[in-house]
Amino acid sequence: MINVFSQLQMQAGKSLGGLCLDPQNASPGPFVLGNGDFFIEIPAAYGCSYSDLTITGAMGTAMPDASELIDKAIETGVESRMCTALKVACYYLEAGLVRKPDMIITSNSCCDSMDTLGNLMNTYKPWAEVPKFIMDAPHSFDEESYIYMGKQLRQAVTFMEDVFGRKMDWDRLREVCVLSNKQDQLLLEFQELKKAVPCPANPDFSRLGFAYDRWTGERISPQITDWLEQLISATEQRVKDKLGIEGITEKVRFLWQELAGTWPPVELWGRLQQELGAIVIMDYMSFGTLTPIDLTSEEAMFTSFGKRFLLEDPMNRQCLHTTDFFCNDILQIVKDFKCDAVIIPAHIGNRDTNSRLKVVREMCREKGIPCLVLGMDIWDKRYMTPETAFDRIKTFFETTGLI
Amino acid sequence: MKSGIKSDSFEKFTVIAGSIMNPSVQECKDGGRKVLGYTCSFVPEELIIAAGMLPFRIRATDSESAGRADDYFESANICSLIRHTFGKVLNSEYDFIDGAIVGGGCDGNRHILDNWEKSPAKIAFLDRLFIPHASNNLTAEFFLGQLSGLKSRIEGYFGVTITDEKLWSAIRLCNEVRELQRELYGLRLSDNPPITGSETVAVIVAGSSMPKEEYRDDLKKLLRELQEVQVPEKKYSARIMIVGPGHDDTSMSDIVEELGGLVVNDLTCFGGKVIFGSVKEDGSDPLKALADYQVLTRPFCPKNLSAHPVINKEVFDKSKEFKVDGVIGQVFLCCETWGGEIFILNKELRDAGIPLLRIERECTADSTGQLRTRVQAFIETISGGAL
Ligand code: SF4
Ligand code: SF4
Repeated sequence: MINVFSQLQMQAGKSLGGLCLDPQNASPGPFVLGNGDFFIEIPAAYGCSYSDLTITGAMGTAMPDASELIDKAIETGVESRMCTALKVACYYLEAGLVRKPDMIITSNSCCDSMDTLGNLMNTYKPWAEVPKFIMDAPHSFDEESYIYMGKQLRQAVTFMEDVFGRKMDWDRLREVCVLSNKQDQLLLEFQELKKAVPCPANPDFSRLGFAYDRWTGERISPQITDWLEQLISATEQRVKDKLGIEGITEKVRFLWQELAGTWPPVELWGRLQQELGAIVIMDYMSFGTLTPIDLTSEEAMFTSFGKRFLLEDPMNRQCLHTTDFFCNDILQIVKDFKCDAVIIPAHIGNRDTNSRLKVVREMCREKGIPCLVLGMDIWDKRYMTPETAFDRIKTFFETTGLI
Repeated sequence: MKSGIKSDSFEKFTVIAGSIMNPSVQECKDGGRKVLGYTCSFVPEELIIAAGMLPFRIRATDSESAGRADDYFESANICSLIRHTFGKVLNSEYDFIDGAIVGGGCDGNRHILDNWEKSPAKIAFLDRLFIPHASNNLTAEFFLGQLSGLKSRIEGYFGVTITDEKLWSAIRLCNEVRELQRELYGLRLSDNPPITGSETVAVIVAGSSMPKEEYRDDLKKLLRELQEVQVPEKKYSARIMIVGPGHDDTSMSDIVEELGGLVVNDLTCFGGKVIFGSVKEDGSDPLKALADYQVLTRPFCPKNLSAHPVINKEVFDKSKEFKVDGVIGQVFLCCETWGGEIFILNKELRDAGIPLLRIERECTADSTGQLRTRVQAFIETISGGAL
């Protein structure tokens, strides 16, 4: 019998499949294309489809022909060490495989790779006449920066209105935000439930929920509220029953300090759980503080969009800010989620993480947190194979006495 | 290649460009003037000059190894300019500066500050300046706010007052210097210029490593000398433009010029990008004039998503004006910022029939040796025959 967790996983997984190239190209309505995570409530309320070419590229790395695709991406001649998800996105673009958008919105967030993709999109000859809007994500997290980012998002709305000749329905935007706040609240509730020892449900549901909620075609629909409520009620029941993840004897809880990537959850995390009882209690796509959107005024709404853009988008949170900010997050997660260790994939192409390794290692040493740095590509398993990653993690847990 | 310039000023520039600490800086220090380092050309030197200090562009001149910096920056993923520059910091070669401002350009550059703060290489004043990634009135306004904050922090820490008068005076001085530097560049419009590309790099690098007034006077002298010199007739096989990030070493121009070519122009952070345009002198707010200049007039960094059309135009304009036969896009390994830009530029130059050679290299001078064959083949191809 299929249990509720498997059902939920299938439902979200099916929807996430829609982020691949072909379904993206087939999505209806005016089509806005970005290089990153645009503030999703806006297109949802405006009623246009929005696609993030980075995510489409990332999904490409999970296709059966991923290796071939990545090689083709390298052959285009873009910087060879750039993030592989972005390389594939660049390839899709350069090969003429992406549907021509009606509007392009780009920003520098979250990392240097994003700039390359953004620049490529903005200068792509066949799209020369497509209207383009560029945003500047500052590397700061204070009120002034949130207001600044909010103002740009507000300008983006005006730009959309001009391009499409149709006004934003502000009541609809509020409705979407109310729904979005509710869903974020549910995601946070699931995070709370994950704190229980043993962890009651596969912690990866946070990541799945986040992606389902924010990136898929169903984004911010009541269907997702329903999905999240089912997840929470099933998880609460397991907490009450003091049950851990089905079939797993939990031994180690660790922070995967990076996005999940495409192959690790499928080919590494499952094996770690099954064979070692080691669970990724938190990864960087799951982690978000998700403060509610302030609906008291239009200005307040956009400032909170700005704040969430800079601080709560997973990639922006890990990349845009200072090393101290990054380290504080690690410590907070380790404390709140009772992590026994931190694993830093040190994904190639993530210049931010790769510029912080010594500081993070030293901090972990000082605090007595076992820490392993891998040096892998979270989108290309040929760089460090799942077997090698598994062996290294296993040896690390053994030498630190965690298993 | 050497043109055989006989000039005290030029000799002085060469010495200054070839090392980090130099006699002019020492003289300043001895006279009690403070030195403020900066890592990116978006940091306005004018602000530092108006604070009564000497701006010094932090660079990695002559570095052979990144040394301990590789503990901080993963060597396989971070560009060598960052690693070697920070290596110099850790090696105490920047101990003479009284403070540093880190420009928040690319990801690696931003983290120089974080790592510096945590490293044993302590420095009293360490600050950052965020660089906008789009060019419009809103981003220029935000950058103005950043500059204003930085100004206050400099004033507070060093106990100085940066008045508008001092800022306008620094702006005039730097504008004058940029104009003279452009005049120097203009000499290579001719078929047989009195100065080579390699030599020009040294002159420009020296400009960010010594007091501006002294530099201006020496540069004026050099220009006079160059205008009077009798240049022996030479035939160059190809006129080359170099585009890319901040190369302060002359190794690539050296190779081009040893192979019979001539580097006639460049768009790099130690060249064409810093001498571009002028800060407007007619407004009421000098800080706003600086912000507008950096964000709206010369947004040459590809970290800025509005930059490409400006970079593109400049490369095309200069290629035409300086009769460029081919462009060398020179990128440091792992630099996505310029890697992406050169990729785009290559497509556009190709469409326009201008050949581009893309070179990826480490930032050490000896890394160019192995590229010689490629440069030679490029020059042969564009000059239409064997050298
Ligand atoms: S943040 Fe990481 S995963 Fe995202 S694009 Fe940058 S390098 Fe790739
Ligand atoms: S060369 Fe590229 S990666 Fe290196 S400092 Fe410059 S912009 Fe950054």
